[in-house]
Amino acid sequence: MSHEFHWGFLIVLYLFLAGLSAGAFATSGLANYLGSKKYELIGRVGAYIAPFPVSIGLALLLLDLGRPFRFWRLFVTIRWTSPMSIGSWLLVIFVTLSLIYFFLWLPDRIRNLVRLPHSFRHLFRASTWTPLKAEEVRRWKLIIGGIGFPVSIGVGMYTGILLGAIPARPFWNTPMVAQLFLFSAMSSGVGTIIFILALISHQKISFDECMLLNSVDAALITFEIFLIIPFILHQSLATWSHKESVALIMGGPYTYYFWIGVVFLGILFPLSLEVVELWHIVVKKHLLCRRINLGVFSGAAVIIGGFILRFVFVYAGQASHFLPVY
Amino acid sequence: MAQKRFAFVIEIDRCIDCKACMVACSVENNVPVGHHRNWVKQIGPNGTYPILGMHFEAGNCMHCTNPPCERVCPTGATYRRDDGLVMINQDICIGCKYCIEACPYDARYFNEETGTTDKCTGCVHRVYRGEEPACVATCIGNSRHFGDINDPRSEVSELIAKNKYYTVYEEAGTHPAVYYIYRGERSNEP
Repeated sequence: MSHEFHWGFLIVLYLFLAGLSAGAFATSGLANYLGSKKYELIGRVGAYIAPFPVSIGLALLLLDLGRPFRFWRLFVTIRWTSPMSIGSWLLVIFVTLSLIYFFLWLPDRIRNLVRLPHSFRHLFRASTWTPLKAEEVRRWKLIIGGIGFPVSIGVGMYTGILLGAIPARPFWNTPMVAQLFLFSAMSSGVGTIIFILALISHQKISFDECMLLNSVDAALITFEIFLIIPFILHQSLATWSHKESVALIMGGPYTYYFWIGVVFLGILFPLSLEVVELWHIVVKKHLLCRRINLGVFSGAAVIIGGFILRFVFVYAGQASHFLPVY
Repeated sequence: MAQKRFAFVIEIDRCIDCKACMVACSVENNVPVGHHRNWVKQIGPNGTYPILGMHFEAGNCMHCTNPPCERVCPTGATYRRDDGLVMINQDICIGCKYCIEACPYDARYFNEETGTTDKCTGCVHRVYRGEEPACVATCIGNSRHFGDINDPRSEVSELIAKNKYYTVYEEAGTHPAVYYIYRGERSNEP
């Protein structure tokens, strides 16, 4: 059945960018919790990335609205049955937290330009405000990272639930979409950090950091494989509508995008590079990235694959349809 | 008097595919060119030669009892009236198009002129003047009917009481309020 695409490229890009930010924040928060000194580079790069892709994504989202200047209507109500309503509130919280987190990670001399009240008594007396002390910065990084971690998981998951909550589109209407989008969001966040670290400091990156990044990303994209397999099996074994919907990626117009773009480029290729990297770390006890900069390729592949995953799901989902019984 | 519940009853075997309902609706509701609030779908030809069948299934917004579009609307612009009609508050709609995706019947369209989503209103402005919706009033074959199914003496109530009817995509949990009556044989072959 022919179908108009109401959600286009802007939505694809937005879902991808929101996921990427969520992944970058979660990774940075996790790295900071596991060891603020040991994984400092990961924490810093993640914190520097996090607020920006999602902000660009939100701008694109506004552009996609029919009445952009009415966006505030989203924030005068909460509708618990609408994933978009909950998601827009989550995004506001997430962007706020990621901006605070970004501020906390700024170099001391820049952060110290900002003076803050120390207690409620000082709130209305700006002359008594002081820059944050190092101890406070450390504590707040943990607190904001700790609050932001579940929020970023929520943002990553919401992008999938947004699509999955629609029974009318059989391609989306499965719990696997939310999980797939979550793992893909987290992995594109980690992938971006890998990519950027590989570009700017593959000579400085430590043993521990390389180990953490590659193992976390390898685990996440392995999970994706174990979501894609049951996704295809379940869709094929469900109703006729579901079967026809999964045919869109099993011989239909999105086959090559899915199998080459998502499965090969986004999962199998970076996974093999990361396994090679990890093998060198664990077995040979040296960093391969000092000699061959694999991170550039695995990071870029994860990012591109994550984008194509959003593209395939947004478009194929809209092309899928309930089928009549006659 | 019980609460009103407006519904459409469409007699499939009276539809001749003239599409006058689509034209009447577009004129009545000022629907932009390129969009329609209602449709006439050709079903078939079904079966194997020489036993073939084809019929036309006219339709519009199903004014579901459990509307998926209303559930996903992030601003509450889509709402369900007490008389059963599902409506869009055009002043609150932000044009996110989520409801268009959520509708299993593809009954909604994006109105580029207003920047909002639009769909069948059951011609509520005519109904409360005592008139029939435009599509019903113009229907040449007298295939389309509209009325209150909670009133046992209404035309629609009598039609669905006397005939076998079906609804579309009931499996989506929508409880649609467009009832189809087809007295011919329905082929199950795709």
